[in-house]
Amino acid sequence: MRCATVKGASAVTLLEIQGLSVTIPSALGPVQAVRSIDLCIARGEIHGLIGESGCGKTMTGMALLGLTPAYAQVAARVIEFDGVDISNSAADLRGRRIALISQDPAAALNPVLTIGRQMDDVLRTHSSNSKAHRAATAVALLAATGLADAPQLMKRYPHQLSGGMQQRVVIAQALATGADFLIADEPTTALDVTVGAQVLALLRKLVVDRGLTVLMITHDMDVVAAVCDRATVLYAGLSVETGPASAILTHPRHPYAAALLAALPDAAPRGQRLAAIGGQIPPSTETISGCAFSPRCPAVMALCHTMSPPARGAGNHRWLCHLAQCAP
Amino acid sequence: MTAPLVEVHDLVVRYKSRGLFAAPFKPAVNGVTLSLPAGSTLGLVGESGSGKSSLLRALLRLVPVESGTISLGGEDWLAIDGPALRRARHSIGFVAQNPFLSLSPRLTIAQILAEPLLARGDKPGAEMKDRIALLLSRCGLPANFLPLRASELSGGQAQRVSIARALALSPRLLVLDEPTSALDVSVQAQILNLLLDLKADSGLSMLFVTHNLKVVAHLAEQLMVMRQGSVVEVGATERVMADPAQAYTRELIGFGRRR
Ligand SMILES: Nc1ncnc2c1ncn2[C@@H]1O[C@H](COP(=O)(O)OP(=O)(O)OP(=O)(O)O)[C@@H](O)[C@H]1O
Ligand SMILES: Nc1ncnc2c1ncn2[C@@H]1O[C@H](COP(=O)(O)OP(=O)(O)O)[C@@H](O)[C@H]1O
Ligand code: SF4
Ligand SMILES: [Mg+2]
Ligand SMILES: [Mg+2]
Repeated sequence: MRCATVKGASAVTLLEIQGLSVTIPSALGPVQAVRSIDLCIARGEIHGLIGESGCGKTMTGMALLGLTPAYAQVAARVIEFDGVDISNSAADLRGRRIALISQDPAAALNPVLTIGRQMDDVLRTHSSNSKAHRAATAVALLAATGLADAPQLMKRYPHQLSGGMQQRVVIAQALATGADFLIADEPTTALDVTVGAQVLALLRKLVVDRGLTVLMITHDMDVVAAVCDRATVLYAGLSVETGPASAILTHPRHPYAAALLAALPDAAPRGQRLAAIGGQIPPSTETISGCAFSPRCPAVMALCHTMSPPARGAGNHRWLCHLAQCAP
Repeated sequence: MTAPLVEVHDLVVRYKSRGLFAAPFKPAVNGVTLSLPAGSTLGLVGESGSGKSSLLRALLRLVPVESGTISLGGEDWLAIDGPALRRARHSIGFVAQNPFLSLSPRLTIAQILAEPLLARGDKPGAEMKDRIALLLSRCGLPANFLPLRASELSGGQAQRVSIARALALSPRLLVLDEPTSALDVSVQAQILNLLLDLKADSGLSMLFVTHNLKVVAHLAEQLMVMRQGSVVEVGATERVMADPAQAYTRELIGFGRRR
């Protein structure tokens, strides 16, 4: 299986998802956390998963990690990782091929154990190397994430590190598992802008140096612009546009993607009203008829309310919309 | 040139270290000088721990000032004390980052907006009800929100209520600490539009703190960048954005440039 990429059709697909859904029972009826998501991620790319809160970004990541709640129903037409169907075995890959980098590094680390001990805990479960060998590996991995004086750092506790340093330790732990696919869920949201930019640069470097692939979950277009090769835009649990990050950022095709970009503060001259999107995302308990964005879409047509939009575009840039041309 | 509403000169704020022999903390605000003309907005950016919130807390008289002066509307703001300070606090409204933490979940929106009015000694009644409904509608929410509780609101709606509450006593200055960073982009745009409208309609003066330079650059006439308690860059927004003097400011501006 091959998916079209920025670099051309030759890149090898690492992850292919078609029609992923995650449904969670609740008192108000089934919550459709993810309604239908398609994703195609090539080996060696940083793929942005963009969307506003509640659109299903985290749940998509959790489904890939086999970490959805036990009572959630996960279904898909296709989930293939490295050419293998993993619809029933996602959890087996976690900590072997796939690792998570979460928003809050402080919560991901154990506050009462030293960094060295926590690195060793990971390395021990993944190798039968000697203690001294593991310690050397831990130091090398910490250094690879740009942490200065790694041997000294091994003796420190998480609270003695800044947020940016903690996130680097979390990334070193992910590398220690041997994973080659990282799911980074808003990895810089809790960090200062400049520190976050350094962490993103580190991820970019690791992708190049170690051949990693990253799914970058974010609500921040600046993060997409800073590091993503390609991106997929989610709305109400649906993937509505996918393509090269630069194309989505400069020439979005789906009206929602266009509206999201137009709402950014630098999209209008200083002091002028921004193009805010009226209304709200449909509740996850609601059944959608026609296009999910139709109640808020500035280009809505009569058929949008009743008919599901068709797939448009070709090659590496595709979107779902009734409009034959592009966004208004 | 309008007379400044706020003038801060050489302000130092230092938190008290615990224990008799503990070494004193470094100042959280270390000699900050600023001037805010009436009706204008100053955007304050800087990394975590740079002293932005401490500066706001000093303005709100929530922490003691070690040295320096603050004047508000030409008066010595630090000289006001006791019951007079309680009354004078009405001159500054405050909006925090997370509306759900700053709005009581037990109260209705009507009660939340009545609170500051009642605390000032206004009498409950039809007039107060009208005033509350007007406040809320100025912030873009119709009166049918009044009986709801904060927990029933979306993030953007709750932040509108926080802004309405901050404006209840007709403050001369609105101080906002990261008012949009807990919100989605589309909702952030609604709140920025509301602040632009309030500025245009009632000449609201604002001090707006954020990590996100682009957000505040949209509203502010002036930008100020802080680092380790000190001002490292200050100037007209256009000038700072076009020609930042500090590498740090350049990094903030350059991050996420569309390719
Ligand atoms: N109550 C306190 N006691 C002691 N030190 C404090 C206290 N509050 C803040 N500080 C210190 O004062 C300095 C400035 O903190 P402040 O909260 O003003 O930063 P900030 O710029 O608002 O940061 P952020 O962007 O994280 O909100 C920091 O060194 C901080 O650790
Ligand atoms: N454990 C859960 N139980 C019930 N609903 C959930 C749970 N986790 C997430 N949801 C719902 O699923 C939808 C998508 O959530 P999420 O994936 O966390 O979105 P995002 O990460 O894009 O903000 C939301 O409507 C959310 O409320
Ligand atoms: S299908 Fe219709 S409502 Fe949906 S995004 Fe396209 S034009 Fe708008
Ligand atoms: Mg999430
Ligand atoms: Mg602060």
